[in-house]
Amino acid sequence: MGRNRTDVAPPLLSAFEYFVSFAIKASLWLWVLFNVAMVVWIFFNSVKTPRDIFANPGLPASWQWSNYWTALATSGLGIAAVNTVVIVAISVTAIMGLSLPAAYALARLGGKSKGPIATLFASGMSVPIQALTVPLVLISAGLSRFMVEWVFGTWDPRITVVLFYVVFGLPFTVFVLVGYFRSLPAELEEAAALDGAGPFRTFRSVMLPLARSGITTMVVLNVLGLWNETVIVLLLIPNQQMQTLNVALLNFYSAMQYTSDWGGLFAGIVIVIMPMILLYFFVGRRVISGMTEGLGK
Amino acid sequence: MPQAEMPARVADHGNGGALDRARRRVYLPMLLPALILYVVLYVAPAIAGMLISFTTWSGLGAEATWVGFQNYVDLFRDPVFLAALGNTLALTLIVGVALFIIVSASMIVLRSTKGRAFIRSAVFVPAIISPIAIGVSVSFMFNPKGLVNGALGAVGMGALQRPWLGPDYILSIIVLGVIWSAAGFYAVLLMSAVDSIPESLFEAARLEGASLFQQFRHITLPLTRDMFSTAAVLWVIAGIKTFEIILAVTGQAGIPPIQARTLAIEQYLRVTTGESGGIPQLGSATAIGVVMTAITVILIILSRRIARRTNLEL
Repeated sequence: MGRNRTDVAPPLLSAFEYFVSFAIKASLWLWVLFNVAMVVWIFFNSVKTPRDIFANPGLPASWQWSNYWTALATSGLGIAAVNTVVIVAISVTAIMGLSLPAAYALARLGGKSKGPIATLFASGMSVPIQALTVPLVLISAGLSRFMVEWVFGTWDPRITVVLFYVVFGLPFTVFVLVGYFRSLPAELEEAAALDGAGPFRTFRSVMLPLARSGITTMVVLNVLGLWNETVIVLLLIPNQQMQTLNVALLNFYSAMQYTSDWGGLFAGIVIVIMPMILLYFFVGRRVISGMTEGLGK
Repeated sequence: MPQAEMPARVADHGNGGALDRARRRVYLPMLLPALILYVVLYVAPAIAGMLISFTTWSGLGAEATWVGFQNYVDLFRDPVFLAALGNTLALTLIVGVALFIIVSASMIVLRSTKGRAFIRSAVFVPAIISPIAIGVSVSFMFNPKGLVNGALGAVGMGALQRPWLGPDYILSIIVLGVIWSAAGFYAVLLMSAVDSIPESLFEAARLEGASLFQQFRHITLPLTRDMFSTAAVLWVIAGIKTFEIILAVTGQAGIPPIQARTLAIEQYLRVTTGESGGIPQLGSATAIGVVMTAITVILIILSRRIARRTNLEL
């Protein structure tokens, strides 16, 4: 754009500038290359024998697909994957189910109280989870004891984890969705109201479809965040059969001094990162715009 | 509440009172489920946490003793805590400066770089990958027989081989890993801000003979200051609670050595009894959480003041 106008300008770049600019561009491409090489390196290692991993940084000498089988079956990543998928699916559904109406109410319906309440949600984003670690552990222990002794006779700590995933997902999700609902045109709501739709009906049949792209973005961001979550599971679920992929990978790694199943470890890393890389591959633009626009507001 | 309704109704011009009342009726039912859950399981526990930090307590069933500020006094006399505090601040600061340099450098050349959409997607990848997976990979690269020492040996620089995961180097390795995993996210965040600057400004500057650096200093930087401020806040929030990557990098060795401990790690050890042989120290662990929150808030205020203008709606 405007190329012929810049032609008349004084010399664009001094030699020094040209050099610096070239160096930065080269570094950017090196950075890209490094990221790609990392992923390829991890993948190659996941199909190598341990000896091959240490002796040879390049292509596998023989393709050991069985590494994936040992990682999934023997080292407990299979059950961890099931746990992760179920926990993330339920949590994200609940986060959206709670956040969407709340965000709409805060954006469009409330009176004076909506501002301070929106701020209350948003301020949760700057509280580090470590401020809640101990209460979390205590609530989890108390809840489990209460359920076992008084209600069901049994309790699954995975339910507690879901509960806290939902609560910790609320501040960011509500914050971004409030901004999103505020940005939607008000005329459509008024038109729906004139046609006799109540506010809830307007929300369901007019605003939710309009907000679809914002909703998808928040679903993706929450899936990413929870898939990669580790701290809460580490704190609340002692039983390895109930833990999620990241914690299973950590256990797998610390067992390495006994098992030396390095190929299996890298297969484990692939199992943990591949679903998110695929998700990113399909909706990457949305991930990026969601993170940057949601936060840039 | 009744006073609150009047001006709002006046402001909602043309809607009439009936519609407004209908809206007000569904306001609470739509809001309350999320709000109650958030207050009961987030706000209240955070406040309860502050109270626990004034006690010594080893968990449900044990007796909690009120000790006032003793936990805080003890923490600031405890060399392990002070080391963790120092590590956390050093990590947040060093990585923060590195991120600023990397991000600024890429902003200088961004407009004239070919394939920048691809660069953007590729550098962003670590932001979507589990920090545990990143930590394990980094740790494996730097292990004594790993890729880095192997490469150094192969090019005849065996003298530079180090026990990278030993106590002397481990924090540097962690810092490197965090820089690598975080830089893409912030670069992309700022790139999106640069994209929204009208091209005509740069064209005019070029016509005036402004150098690339002058363009960056006088156009890009001032016009993206809000986003820089947001990025600084986000980094502080993220940096102070650095946890997973450390657990993963030191994962094979068991308990992270003091040289690699951040406040989050130190707190985790006190909650899970990994350190003192069995008894959870809930009081001092919550005190660490309170200290972390305080540092986060102070650093957020500082970094916003440095960026002068505020933008994040908090």
